[in-house]
Amino acid sequence: MSFIDLKGILQPLGALKQLGKKPHTIQFPAESIEASDNYRGLHFNDLDDCIGCGNCSTICPNEAIDMIDLLNIKEKKGDSSLRPRIDNGRCCWCALCVDVCPTGSLSLTKDYIFVTEDPNDFLWTPGIDNKDAADKISYTSDVSTSISMYDRVPMRELEGKERVKSFAEVVLGYSEEEARAEAQRCISCGLCVEVCPENMHIPEYINAIAQAKDKDALRIIYDNNPLPEMCGKVCTRLCEDVCAMQVRGDAVAIRWLKRYATETAPTVELIKEIVDPQIEEPNGFSVGIVGAGPAGLTAAYYLALKGYDVTIYEAQAHAGGMIMYGIPKYRFPLESIDKQIQYMESIGVKIKYNTKVGKDISFKEIYNNNDAVFVGIGLQIPWNIGIKNEDSPGVIPAIDYLTIINSDGKFDVGKKVAVIGGGNVAIDGARVAARYGADVTILYRRRVEDMPADWEEIEGAEHEGVKIVPQAIPTKIIRNKEGKVKGVEYVMAKMVAQDGGRPRPVAIEGSETIYECDTVIGAIGQQADFDWLPENYKEKVIIERGKIQVNNLRQTGDNKIFAGGDAVKFGNSDAISAIADGFNAVKGIDKLLLNK
Amino acid sequence: MTELIKEQHLLDSLTSAFKIKGRVIRDRRVEVFADKKMVSGILLFAKKQLGFIHLAHMTCIDWIDENKFELIYTIWSPIEKIHLFVKTKIERENPEMENIDSIWDQANTYEREIREMFGIQFPGLIGEQDFALEDWDEMPPMRKDFDTKKYALETYYQRPGREDAKDVRETISERSGTKVPDFAKKYSREK
Repeated sequence: MSFIDLKGILQPLGALKQLGKKPHTIQFPAESIEASDNYRGLHFNDLDDCIGCGNCSTICPNEAIDMIDLLNIKEKKGDSSLRPRIDNGRCCWCALCVDVCPTGSLSLTKDYIFVTEDPNDFLWTPGIDNKDAADKISYTSDVSTSISMYDRVPMRELEGKERVKSFAEVVLGYSEEEARAEAQRCISCGLCVEVCPENMHIPEYINAIAQAKDKDALRIIYDNNPLPEMCGKVCTRLCEDVCAMQVRGDAVAIRWLKRYATETAPTVELIKEIVDPQIEEPNGFSVGIVGAGPAGLTAAYYLALKGYDVTIYEAQAHAGGMIMYGIPKYRFPLESIDKQIQYMESIGVKIKYNTKVGKDISFKEIYNNNDAVFVGIGLQIPWNIGIKNEDSPGVIPAIDYLTIINSDGKFDVGKKVAVIGGGNVAIDGARVAARYGADVTILYRRRVEDMPADWEEIEGAEHEGVKIVPQAIPTKIIRNKEGKVKGVEYVMAKMVAQDGGRPRPVAIEGSETIYECDTVIGAIGQQADFDWLPENYKEKVIIERGKIQVNNLRQTGDNKIFAGGDAVKFGNSDAISAIADGFNAVKGIDKLLLNK
Repeated sequence: MTELIKEQHLLDSLTSAFKIKGRVIRDRRVEVFADKKMVSGILLFAKKQLGFIHLAHMTCIDWIDENKFELIYTIWSPIEKIHLFVKTKIERENPEMENIDSIWDQANTYEREIREMFGIQFPGLIGEQDFALEDWDEMPPMRKDFDTKKYALETYYQRPGREDAKDVRETISERSGTKVPDFAKKYSREK
């Protein structure tokens, strides 16, 4: 053993060979390693894509997500304008919020470092407080792997070829199992409620169906809609356009679910038993209603419940208005209408049929004998197509044709039919004519995607063999020797974009084509008939551009006269808007007479 | 499918030896479903006779609607290059499963985790009762009936500044000027 431990002195020097090599120690200043591609780090929310449905907030198992009003989000339909804020102190990065986000706006990013001395800083709003995280998104939800169900339970229908043989109802309705499955897709956000003209309690009744509480569902529906069977079959369902599921998948079949709920009560007695309407004691006031359409019936129903003495004056032999005479029976069968009317009558609504106001009874009499009057007359007079030879035999407005057929009348359309127009009435006319064996072609001046008709109706018509010629502007009716319709001449149009509106069709010169046919059905809209209203009332009621002017409570210029439905300038021209008019007029009448 | 010969062969040798059901999921993935009493036998057979020398994973699923727990043993053969899933369902009431840490030592860790998270007992399992949770006296938290939200609300205080939270349904109701009737409120979305 030597005095000096040479080995002990030299060996540490070996470390010098590491000089100049990249150190294994941590970089200073610290540099974080990039996370993997589907890393679940801090949240990011695309504020424009987010619709504020709050599904993230509901599912969060740690109660870490609040929906807050950011104020700078523009209020729009189908968007609550609330946005999620996250308490990152509570978050466990399970990413359930991302998995259930119906729009896919919420995601997790590769960011995983957030250092602060104040724990309250953990509360922040993704997408606002971390704008730069937009390009670090890693964990996103995918429609195919999401735990939300984006595909609608398909509705069973009669086959196209079967349908045209009769007026049997085309849509067959959901079975119990199908309805439960479809109802469970709803995330109960309620964004749909706002666009429904009648603000029906949609999430509540769908949730009741999902929980197999069909009776409760029906009661909830009848709370503000006395004609749900009709709505369940033919509603324009604006609600489905803003359904949160519709952003990336199929909207929940709200209309079909309502239909299902009404089908669980097939008789008037059952409806009465389930809905259990609470009729208040008579309050001594009486209300006269002109027209038994959806608006008048709705007003009558809720007025009767509140103890008013209600009488409806209806010009036709049947109640229902346009839903009776305008809608073909394969969409809304007679039994359905009868059931709804009988139910109304059973709670005390009186309907005087075949009583045309202005002819069988004067408006003055109704006005003087009642404490308030509700006018729901609808649009009865068709607009002219506005082309040459329109007065020839063989030209019929769609609404007249539908009324004849729905009143069990007969109208021979011949072998070939041209329908002019692109709304639901045009499609109805076309599909009815197809059921009488006619070869039907629809001429529409704009593109198919511009058609105001329901897409399901357009599709249904096509399945039944109805042809659609878009961008065709009719120019004149061609007559035969006897002066009867022989065909219709039309020109093709090109679509010209215009500022602040949908593209305008402009005729292409020299593109005249003749479509030979036996009947021309015109369906380009209707207007109201005010001939029955005496001049002295007309002055007070105020009619502008063919529509009655009303306030929020559907009160006209004469404070005793209320009005609703298609003849009123409020909302859309559809049944659910008419129901909303009737419902709101009841509030107005209550306010007028009971000061409630 | 011709390319799944080795997988089918493995499945056949297991089903004929133990009279159990199973299927080839895809290439390199085979699963068998066994009664709880047969699991250790199958694992031992697979390890000693078929070359599945590695326990890759062991996990549990709570099938609350069936009132069953499912235990899944994932084992791997480096020669066959196949993952074999041995699955078994056990009763949810007083759940008990055979301890297999004598076959693979690392099973001990998985079993302790499953004991803590699902409350499944493995008789003879040696190791601390606490695994990841400290002084846990609630229901095992990975059980489906454990209410995470309720636990979080009771255990953690609400951070100040969260009082301005709004309910989406109520916001929409207010904006449209309508009210949900009282009898329907129980069907509104949970807040």
